[in-house]
Amino acid sequence: MSEAVAPAPGKGSRGRGGPSLRRRRALIPLLFVLPGLAWLILFYAIPIVSQVWVSTQTGNPDDGFVQTWNFSVYPDAVSEYLPQIGRSFLYAGTATLACLIISFPLAYFIAFKAGRWRNLMLLLIILPFFTSLIVRVVAWQTLLTDDGLVVNTLQAIGILGPDGRLLATTFAVIAGITYNFLPFMALPLYASLERMDRTLLEAASDLYASKITAFRKVTLPLAAPGIFAGTLLTFIPAIGDYINAQLLGTPNQFMVGNVIQSQYLTVRDYPTAAALSFVVMIVVLILIAIALRFVSTRQLSEAAAA
Amino acid sequence: MRTTADRIRTWLLGTWSLLAILFLFAPIFVIVLFSFNDNQGRFNFTWQGFTLKHWKEPFAVAGLGEAMGTSLLIALFTTLIAVALGTFVALALVRYRWRGRGATNGLVFLPLATPEVVLGAALLGWFLTMGLVRGFVTVLIAHVMFTLGYVVITVRARLEGMDTHIEEAAADLGAGQVTTLWKITLPLLAPGLAAAALLSFAISIDDFVVSNFTAGQTVTFPLFVYGAARQGVPPQVNVFATAILVIVVCLMFANLAWQRRAARKEGIPVPEAQPLGI
Amino acid sequence: MAPESMDLFFEKIVEGDDVTRRSALKRLSAGAAMMSGSAAFLAACGGVEGTSNNDANQDTDVSHPKTAIGTLVVSNWPLYIDEGKGGKPSPTITGWQKANDAKMKYLEDYNDNEEFYAKVRQELENDQGIGRDLIMPTDWMAARWIEQGYAIPKDKNNVPNEKNLIPTLRKPPYDANRNYTLPWQSGITGIGYNPKKCGRKLTSVNDLFDPKFKGRVTMFSEWRDSAGLVLLGMGKDSQTASKDDYLEAINKIGEESSKGQIRRFTGNDYTTDLAKGNLWACVAWSGDLVQLKAENPDLEFLIPEEGAVTWSDNMLIPQKAKSPYGAETFMNYVDEPEIAANIAEYVNYFCPVEGVKEILTKRNPELANNQLIFPDKATTDQLRQYPNLGAAADREVTAAMQKVTGS
Repeated sequence: MSEAVAPAPGKGSRGRGGPSLRRRRALIPLLFVLPGLAWLILFYAIPIVSQVWVSTQTGNPDDGFVQTWNFSVYPDAVSEYLPQIGRSFLYAGTATLACLIISFPLAYFIAFKAGRWRNLMLLLIILPFFTSLIVRVVAWQTLLTDDGLVVNTLQAIGILGPDGRLLATTFAVIAGITYNFLPFMALPLYASLERMDRTLLEAASDLYASKITAFRKVTLPLAAPGIFAGTLLTFIPAIGDYINAQLLGTPNQFMVGNVIQSQYLTVRDYPTAAALSFVVMIVVLILIAIALRFVSTRQLSEAAAA
Repeated sequence: MRTTADRIRTWLLGTWSLLAILFLFAPIFVIVLFSFNDNQGRFNFTWQGFTLKHWKEPFAVAGLGEAMGTSLLIALFTTLIAVALGTFVALALVRYRWRGRGATNGLVFLPLATPEVVLGAALLGWFLTMGLVRGFVTVLIAHVMFTLGYVVITVRARLEGMDTHIEEAAADLGAGQVTTLWKITLPLLAPGLAAAALLSFAISIDDFVVSNFTAGQTVTFPLFVYGAARQGVPPQVNVFATAILVIVVCLMFANLAWQRRAARKEGIPVPEAQPLGI
Repeated sequence: MAPESMDLFFEKIVEGDDVTRRSALKRLSAGAAMMSGSAAFLAACGGVEGTSNNDANQDTDVSHPKTAIGTLVVSNWPLYIDEGKGGKPSPTITGWQKANDAKMKYLEDYNDNEEFYAKVRQELENDQGIGRDLIMPTDWMAARWIEQGYAIPKDKNNVPNEKNLIPTLRKPPYDANRNYTLPWQSGITGIGYNPKKCGRKLTSVNDLFDPKFKGRVTMFSEWRDSAGLVLLGMGKDSQTASKDDYLEAINKIGEESSKGQIRRFTGNDYTTDLAKGNLWACVAWSGDLVQLKAENPDLEFLIPEEGAVTWSDNMLIPQKAKSPYGAETFMNYVDEPEIAANIAEYVNYFCPVEGVKEILTKRNPELANNQLIFPDKATTDQLRQYPNLGAAADREVTAAMQKVTGS
């Protein structure tokens, strides 16, 4: 992994103290990192890997499951739930694109035009997400309800037919995902635009006749890491989303997350659920691996925490 | 040199941005508005007049107050543990070079990029395998796990922006590592820690997906809402949601003001890109 | 009795399959209780090791002496008990608290049979308590709790009011002597609809599949309700229908679902959509509709001409309950006709207690004549019960329905 070099470790390099002291100092970072690292290994890494163990068991929820190393669960689960898996990628992809279209002008405006409103606007982007996901999606249910203001307006201006509806449609699900992941796109975009050297832009507009060319040849390439990070950070969590499909869609919109959720929490077919969730994890890891060829973990993780 | 085309472009961009922010706020508006709805009967989705009664009696719905209490408690413990663990991880990552730094960076980042449903499913499978009965503790474990990365990254950013001269001076004056850490580094880090704490608190208190998998019978606020949503969400839920929002915003502004003052004292320019102290 | 479960039992014993003996026994007793209409079998089975405490036919000499109750924890379905005026706690709860000098933590967190079971299963398997003294599983789920040995038999001396139970509910197949359970309320799974939106009166189950209602129809994700009703619409008896009949009905539901006819599969969350007007017609529970009429007077409940499905939710004491005695006092309290009348007046389901109709005739004659609360013979003749398919077939049908509901 490519890493930005950290600032020089101030104390260790001074050479004060004997070898035993130095060895003790070498232990310090380990001591610092150990509790946190242990937590992540115990409650992240091992559980993720243990999905394999759970997935290859056979049995039924009433009599229990025993380990039989039944790897056929993977092709079985994938082929059985192919529509849901396909939808996950389709919806997550569409929503990511929608996020990009909505956020790019927004991020651009905040970075270059907002002036003293900049911080306020950034705050406004994040603010809605300090209410619980469930509460927000339920609010969308209220907004999009069949006899509601939004539907009636759209019917009046002819966008929706008189029998048309928004709730329980693919549109509602994708719109819901777009809504819920928008900041994951907008903030990395903003960060990359904001970091841009303005003199470059000025030089560009001097050099190129049209603003559009300047945008295409200078702004866009410079914003690429942001677009990239934003796309990844929107797309990956969106693949696993199930709340939007659950509350705004119908079974014809259910995604792989819905399957994992109900197999684990209602049907109790743990092997299938574990297999599907492990497959999703593998896909995610592949996506991240591809991403790391273009940006550093650093950029990604900072974008994630933005 | 500003041309008419420029102005039109700016205006279009501004309008677009305004619409985007309206989109973001549409459900928030509904949530806040319906906390004041004088609803008759058991549903709360048509506007029937203004009232303050739900704000006066936020605990009128059985179980809601308790769920909120559980959520607050989990968020509090999560914050304490995650900030404690995460700060030291960040210190190790920034101040020292050691083998495994790259891998650790990766491990810190991965949970942030893993879909929540996978986190929840993996933990549930693990808890079931280990025979660990789900409840308060398992939710806490899960929340610490997925907030830890946010803490590390937030604190790391602050650490890297920090002047190391004071620490070096302290070391030169004979202060031990522990003393330097305790008396110099941590106080300087305080605004970063506050931001990290705020972030983990906010993430923990709003989490639904992972909690749904790991809670067993424990009911947190989002889980309560999910259960109640089947019968129509009572307006008190809107009251609590609005209250959380207001409190978090106030804390953010307080932290921002504090950061600015601290920065002014140190003579460091205010970090522009950190409007939320995040 | 169930020959397949017996075969299976011996097979496992002989072959030493990885399925443990204990689970084979469990399965045997599961099959037994499913088919327990036959009392003779149960008597024969009474001596089988490991099932004796599950045996529904054995007269219990359970004794739960009167002790301080402390706080009784009850988990019930939402909106299933009377409410005090202006958001005050339920008079039934406060009344019981006063009469027994105890407190009650009344949780409305029993939202779905399978979901609740999945939630507490770990504790059950570890032989731990689930932090509750009384829960309200539906018949088939109550059967599962009893079969698995997760229920505490009740001390009948503490529940003298059991005598008030209406005769038809005294001997359910899964708990023939009511050693474990008592019905809380019963109800009908029929059709809830809005005649104004539908543009006509509905009469048949098959009206749910009217293409005009496309996307405005929901069904329960629970196959016993949805497929049962659809089977009745197909002219079959849902109570005696076979596994294959059910699979056929589920297949039909699946076709309608992929056509977009069915908007969602729900639990008790259909009520919100129905009241909002998002639904025109749906599979619904009787009491809900009586309550929803208060929100939206246009709504109607229909017992389709082909018949409807009936069920009970039952009070059951889960294993390691803190105060079985306290739970019994509550069972006894709500079987008091006066108290039962209060609950019936509010929740509008079938009342399982005798003498309530007389009380309500004086208090609220309109309610007393409501077929959905006090059905006459003509109505009850239209009602069919849940089927007994046996555990394995049950799982198969559940899996098929799961596929249709898309998860």
